[in-house]
Amino acid sequence: MRAIEPWVEAPLDAFLRESSARIVLLMTSSGQVVAQHGFTRSLDVMAAAALGAGIIASTAEIARVMSLPTLGNVVHQGAGLSVLLAPFSMPAGTWVALVVFGPETTVGLVQLFCAGLAADLTAAAPQPRPAAPILAEQFEDELNASLRTLFGR
Amino acid sequence: MPLVNFTAREITCKLVYYGPGRSGKTTNLQYIHGRVPESKRGRMVSLATHGDRTLFFDFLPLDLGTISGFTTRFQLYTVPGQVYYAATRRLVLQGADGVVMVADSQARRFDENLESLRDLQDNLIDQGVDIRTFPLVFQYNKQDLPPELILSPEALDESLNFRGVPSLPADALRGTGVFETLRSATALVLQRLAQRSGS
Repeated sequence: MRAIEPWVEAPLDAFLRESSARIVLLMTSSGQVVAQHGFTRSLDVMAAAALGAGIIASTAEIARVMSLPTLGNVVHQGAGLSVLLAPFSMPAGTWVALVVFGPETTVGLVQLFCAGLAADLTAAAPQPRPAAPILAEQFEDELNASLRTLFGR
Repeated sequence: MPLVNFTAREITCKLVYYGPGRSGKTTNLQYIHGRVPESKRGRMVSLATHGDRTLFFDFLPLDLGTISGFTTRFQLYTVPGQVYYAATRRLVLQGADGVVMVADSQARRFDENLESLRDLQDNLIDQGVDIRTFPLVFQYNKQDLPPELILSPEALDESLNFRGVPSLPADALRGTGVFETLRSATALVLQRLAQRSGS
């Protein structure tokens, strides 16, 4: 498991244990990865997060366009593995859980434990911290060096 | 807002390539994807129509290495340019930390550039973004076409670049200006992050 902030780890660990999910990805509504378990290549996680956030965003927009109440979770049932996409509210905005699970569990149980995960994360979320300097004033030299390396020029 | 992980010292930013249909947004990402070593980029995801026009978005995660002690990643997105896809364009723009406005330099496409720019401004305002301070870079693409068919960067600046933000001529198909545009946009996004976090 890899989490952006340590306080995410305990609720996610409990969810993995209880739900028997195989892969879990937590992301913000704009597709930024918050935590993941089960992915083998970090950059592919970002692609999955972008696509998952896109599905949830378009589902919410369909509801808005059709004047429907907010639509909930999205489930794709596969022959072996299935995928649940579950948006939930956090103090800092909407997060989305992408959960891949197999026949050893059920969509109902995964959704139930996913609701518990959302509640546990909300309870564990720390107060917003005061702003602190992140980047040094002269970061542009390092940025230019990185880009030159990337493009080989 | 960029996602900053203080524990692992990582920064992740979202950069969106905007502009009218067929202006070269996807071409920018394809060029970057082709030039950057595999270890520094993820898989490029393209949700396109059968005609290879962007349907939802293109996505390319890029690892910029360590900057000020933070591992810095940029997630590059394109929006579908056609007017028809206004709804999906709004979705992709959500949470953007910066925008590259890819304008088509052809004189006959000028109105479409203007319409796309208005659409961008409307969407940013709808999302509560202060467009006066939002990181924005213009790329005037297709400057390789015959001079009689295109507008000069100066003429495009005068007509489109009201804020006087950085603007760069480009030929995205051959890569001219692609690197410079990315450098300019990433610098603006990180400058804003530095200003916001330090204030």
